[in-house]
Amino acid sequence: MAVGRIYRWGMDSLESAHGDGPAGPVDARSVPGGDGAPRRSADWRDPGGRRGAPLLVAVVYVIVGLAWIALSDHALEVFVADPALRGQLGTLKGAAFVTVTGVVLFLLVWRRDERLRRFGEELRATLDSLGDGVLVVSQRGRVVEINRAVRELTGLLRKEDHLIPVADWAVRVNLRTRDGRPVAPDQFATLRVLGGERPGSYDAILRRTDGTDLPVSISATPVLDRAGRARLAVAVIRDASEAHRLAQTREELLATAAHELKTPLSVIKAHAQLLLRRADPEPGLQVIVRQVDRLTRLVQQILDASRLRLDNVELRWEQVDLAEVAAVVVTDMGPRPGGHSVAFEGRGGAWVRADRDRITRVITALVDNALRFSPADSPVEVRVGVRGGETIFSVLDHGVGIPPERQDRVFERYYRAHAGTPDDRGGLGVGLDTCREIVARHGGRMWFQSEPGTGSTFLFALPLSPTERGA
Amino acid sequence: MSALPFSVLVVEDDGDLVSLMELVLTDAGYRVRTAPEGGVALARIAEEMPGLILLDMRMPGMNGWEFAREFRSRYGRAAPIVVVTAAENARARAAEVGADGWLSKPFEIDEVLRMVAARAATAAAAAAAGATSGTGAAPAGT
Repeated sequence: MAVGRIYRWGMDSLESAHGDGPAGPVDARSVPGGDGAPRRSADWRDPGGRRGAPLLVAVVYVIVGLAWIALSDHALEVFVADPALRGQLGTLKGAAFVTVTGVVLFLLVWRRDERLRRFGEELRATLDSLGDGVLVVSQRGRVVEINRAVRELTGLLRKEDHLIPVADWAVRVNLRTRDGRPVAPDQFATLRVLGGERPGSYDAILRRTDGTDLPVSISATPVLDRAGRARLAVAVIRDASEAHRLAQTREELLATAAHELKTPLSVIKAHAQLLLRRADPEPGLQVIVRQVDRLTRLVQQILDASRLRLDNVELRWEQVDLAEVAAVVVTDMGPRPGGHSVAFEGRGGAWVRADRDRITRVITALVDNALRFSPADSPVEVRVGVRGGETIFSVLDHGVGIPPERQDRVFERYYRAHAGTPDDRGGLGVGLDTCREIVARHGGRMWFQSEPGTGSTFLFALPLSPTERGA
Repeated sequence: MSALPFSVLVVEDDGDLVSLMELVLTDAGYRVRTAPEGGVALARIAEEMPGLILLDMRMPGMNGWEFAREFRSRYGRAAPIVVVTAAENARARAAEVGADGWLSKPFEIDEVLRMVAARAATAAAAAAAGATSGTGAAPAGT
């Protein structure tokens, strides 16, 4: 946030100001570097003024004071002969000096204070005019300032309800990831920013005081001190309900379209199969059947991805041996045309609580990806192992790999890392997104390692089921 | 013993899919009747109880869920129902209506034939047992 980057706020004062009504910035000096000089305009002046101003005031005060003392003492010596009277006048002139300088200092401080107060009000009015929620978090992880949008988004209208440690704030607004799990403190954008990271925005859901859920997108920016350390984190909380609704509509449309495609696909495929049974069938019929199967897989991918996004998926939990599932997938794939070999390594007993069909699809998709993106004569290695309370599946290929600049987006929906390159193997870009989502719903995580020209390894870990751990 | 072949009622609104089922099942020696929605299907059943009902779920008029409920309330388990669905979770869909089996669209012809043959064999075995024991559990119910 620009405002956060440009001005440094006096944090200690902010934190101590909580109980006294609206807390405000009490010190807003410009920070060198970063964006450069603070933005100024004729209408909105930085009350901090020039950095040398206090020194200038002090120097002027000393010079004027010394000059006054020297000149007035000299004048008394010249014009007043009586030493007693001179002494009385000396005291009076001292008192006059203190009074005048007191008035001048009062005016200076008052003017500056007034400017700061006005600036604070303008800054707060600016924050309040933003449609996005702004949450300022101190180095100690405490929320120290919020704007009106935060109050309106959460329904918590009293500012004091927000000025608490950010971890407590997240609990208070029931901050969850889109799949319903509480956002862990180490995922908080503000705390990560204070820890020196630069995380991107993430999607979450918060619960309003009226009980309704609000999808939001949260990002955070650091406010740096002169040494470049994050003194504050400014989180921007954006109401994502409209985007969420549009995404829902898109997914519903996709799901319906995919669903409706299945009946015509059935009819085409069945007729082609019937025609194939005749003597001397057209060779093209085989192609029709193959392409219908391909279409069916694509339709299924869209359906899978859409259903996950629409939260329409009910997982059917059972105890599953991941090694056995992976072995079956590898066996079912059979010998590959073109000479691909898939090696499997894993011992049985890798028990997890899972939906067998879904996990089978994840493994199939990952192995299929590995095969698609590697040369026909290179082996693909599938492994299932148990480590530290987790069952870990991995599939390694010696394929084209993923360019580093595209790796961040690999799990993004509809993103195809090789789109428009000679290594583009088609697809919808929903496979990995769906896989990761399914794994996440199993309480697991998914990641990869990849090097262009060397190959990729995709892995996922699922919690070992309690019976196995206890065994 | 009746020499009538095993009869299948196809409840499906897509004309091409109905023709296909008729073609495949008639070719395999079954008797096929069709209905474009649940209401018509109930009328066909009132005329004659089929050996098996292949049921689409999403249809105009009376849909698959309503039909299954109505059929069970009128005839109990007089005929097995196999759900033919494009739904991602065909098994769950079948369970919802208490069906005896399911076929996921798009299906293989052989899958359909296997499914029907299995039901026909079960019905034939039951009829034979009924004839032997004399209890008369005829599939043609009412």
